[in-house]
Amino acid sequence: MIFLIITGLSFLSQPGFTQQMSATDIVRKADEKFNGEKSSYSVMSMKVIRPEWQRTIEFKSWTLGKEYALTLITAPPKEAAQTFLKRGSEMWSWNPTISRLIKLPPSMMSQGWMGSDYTNDDILRESSVVTDYVHEIVGEEKIDDRVCYKIKMTAKEEASIVWGRQIRWIDKKDFLVLKAELYDEDGYLVRTETGSDIKIMDGRTITSRIELVPSEEPENKTLIEIREIKFNIPLEDSFFSQQNMKRVR
Amino acid sequence: MKEEFKIAWRNLWRNRRRTIITSASIFFAVFFAVVMRSYQLGSYDHMITNFIESFTGYLQVQNIKYQDNPLIDNSFDFNDSIASEISEIDKVVSVTPHLESFTLASSGSQTKGVAVIAIDPVKEKNFSNPENKLVRYRITDEAVDHMKNAGIIPDNILDKVKKNLDRSYSSSAKLELELGLTDYNKELYMTEIIKCSEVSNGYLANDDEGILVSDRLASYLNVAIGDSVILMGQGYHGVSATGMFPVRGIIKIPSPDIDNKLIIMTIPAAQKFFDAEGKVTSLVVNLTDKSYRLLKTVQAEINSLMPDKNTIAKTWYELNPILYQQIQGDSQSGAAMLGLLYFIIFFGIFGTVLMMVSERKREFGVLVAIGMQKKKLKRIVTIEMLLLGSIGLVCGLLASVPLILYFYYYPIVLKGELANMMEDWGWDAVMPSAWFGPYFYWQAVIVALMVVLATLYPLRKIERLKEIEAIKG
Repeated sequence: MIFLIITGLSFLSQPGFTQQMSATDIVRKADEKFNGEKSSYSVMSMKVIRPEWQRTIEFKSWTLGKEYALTLITAPPKEAAQTFLKRGSEMWSWNPTISRLIKLPPSMMSQGWMGSDYTNDDILRESSVVTDYVHEIVGEEKIDDRVCYKIKMTAKEEASIVWGRQIRWIDKKDFLVLKAELYDEDGYLVRTETGSDIKIMDGRTITSRIELVPSEEPENKTLIEIREIKFNIPLEDSFFSQQNMKRVR
Repeated sequence: MKEEFKIAWRNLWRNRRRTIITSASIFFAVFFAVVMRSYQLGSYDHMITNFIESFTGYLQVQNIKYQDNPLIDNSFDFNDSIASEISEIDKVVSVTPHLESFTLASSGSQTKGVAVIAIDPVKEKNFSNPENKLVRYRITDEAVDHMKNAGIIPDNILDKVKKNLDRSYSSSAKLELELGLTDYNKELYMTEIIKCSEVSNGYLANDDEGILVSDRLASYLNVAIGDSVILMGQGYHGVSATGMFPVRGIIKIPSPDIDNKLIIMTIPAAQKFFDAEGKVTSLVVNLTDKSYRLLKTVQAEINSLMPDKNTIAKTWYELNPILYQQIQGDSQSGAAMLGLLYFIIFFGIFGTVLMMVSERKREFGVLVAIGMQKKKLKRIVTIEMLLLGSIGLVCGLLASVPLILYFYYYPIVLKGELANMMEDWGWDAVMPSAWFGPYFYWQAVIVALMVVLATLYPLRKIERLKEIEAIKG
């Protein structure tokens, strides 16, 4: 679930491509790598940082294609064993303390997921970064000694996206998104996401640390760290079921 | 002087009717002004008492940020020693801890946003006293059927009962009041009505894991005592708070706005639920009286007691500025009404004085002509006026006393639509008068001043008196 966002940023590496790539190609390449993957399993921690406090949530996540995702909270103990299921455009949550399966209503979509700066909507609406935007290379910039394409992505008018445009900094060598700025329809910067701590995990170079800063409250922050990730493990559609939400460990 | 007093006194009773009319106009002036003001002040006072004492409290200890941002994150650490230190301050009546937040409440397929107020079930009895608000009687179809089947209650009484169908009551007195039965009928049928409409209910124990649900919310969620309600929300520092709570009791809150969304639980249960160990959002402090000076001194004392400078005491008018302004606005408009009344009264008094002077023009002329000093005559007339004034004043004040006393102890109880409307606003539908206070003497002083002002006219007339003209008329 959260994984869907993260993979949007932590592109899978593949060494050097030919020089002349269009902006769309760059984004597609990164995106296809992700979409081309069958499935994944990951262990992550999410640190929600506020001026006066912070807390860490740990979870496991399974995904299959773009349609299915299942997330299991493992810590803190009070919230452990809660699960979230995404099937297509619907999202359910299972809470063992009240033994309830809840389909998240539209009204809850704009609320933060587990109190973080990610909204439920972010998790569900993983719109296509390839087909829903018009891409344009606007320059090259260096981020942490890595040369990046600076790509401006303008949302197509008919696409149903909450963002008006995005600017992504995609590393030339490993095709990692090192930075992304997301703007709303009125052109205001809503949040900045940065990828860092590049590691090789399960044979791929990825950014294992993603930081989200909402621009209206710059002292707030959500930090995701990927602890473990496996690609293309065998998973069936049937794994992503309401029954399994209650069983999965 | 004695002689003049004697003459003045005799003058008064020489024309009794005139004296009575003049003093009556003063009498009514005082009487109406006092009674009206007493009512105005009494109603405000009742409203404040009602609202403040069981809603915001005179003072509340809060995190400095809580008022602008009432989140559970803006709570503070609480222990019993703080409470006992505050309650030892002079003139503090009660200290009541609260932990308040908002969650979703769900039962079956119904879900609703609710306000959760966590209380200390024992200490709360000194404050909002939810135990008093438990629903004891309910006029349901079933209850009416019972009454019908018992066959004791005649049809006309049954119709009255049916008018209150689906209403619930926290006390038999309130039920009695709403039914509006005659004393005779009350004695005959009340026991039966109470027996048929009685429902069982329960309060929270000290470490209870259960909840009290407000009446309208309970019927929306379709829960009764013994059922469970699921609460979901966000706890301290973004923790997701979920839990299942058994319903221990149903409470009836007069204001439908609150009755639609209130859930009460114990503080330990809420601290566990919200993951806010040892935290409360406010300490409600009630005092013996609400004088400004007392509020300020206790506020300062509490602030010096609190170890954390971010946790401070706020007065009820800081907490509820809208109510405060409303009361002040009402008081101003009341004063304006009173001013209008004074205006009319003054011209009433002045009119009778005018009449008196023109009636006695000839008399004054003769007196001056046969050698009475104008000075002496003025003194006599002044004494007459003051006597008239004090008779009216004293009688007016005396006459208002029993009325004020009566309505202080037996306030007017409003009924029907108006009463319902007032209850909707969260007020008790009673209008008591105010106990004797400065307002009482002030009315007397103001009316006395008006009498003095009116006296200036005859004095001026005497000063300018021309004997010949006066005698010739």
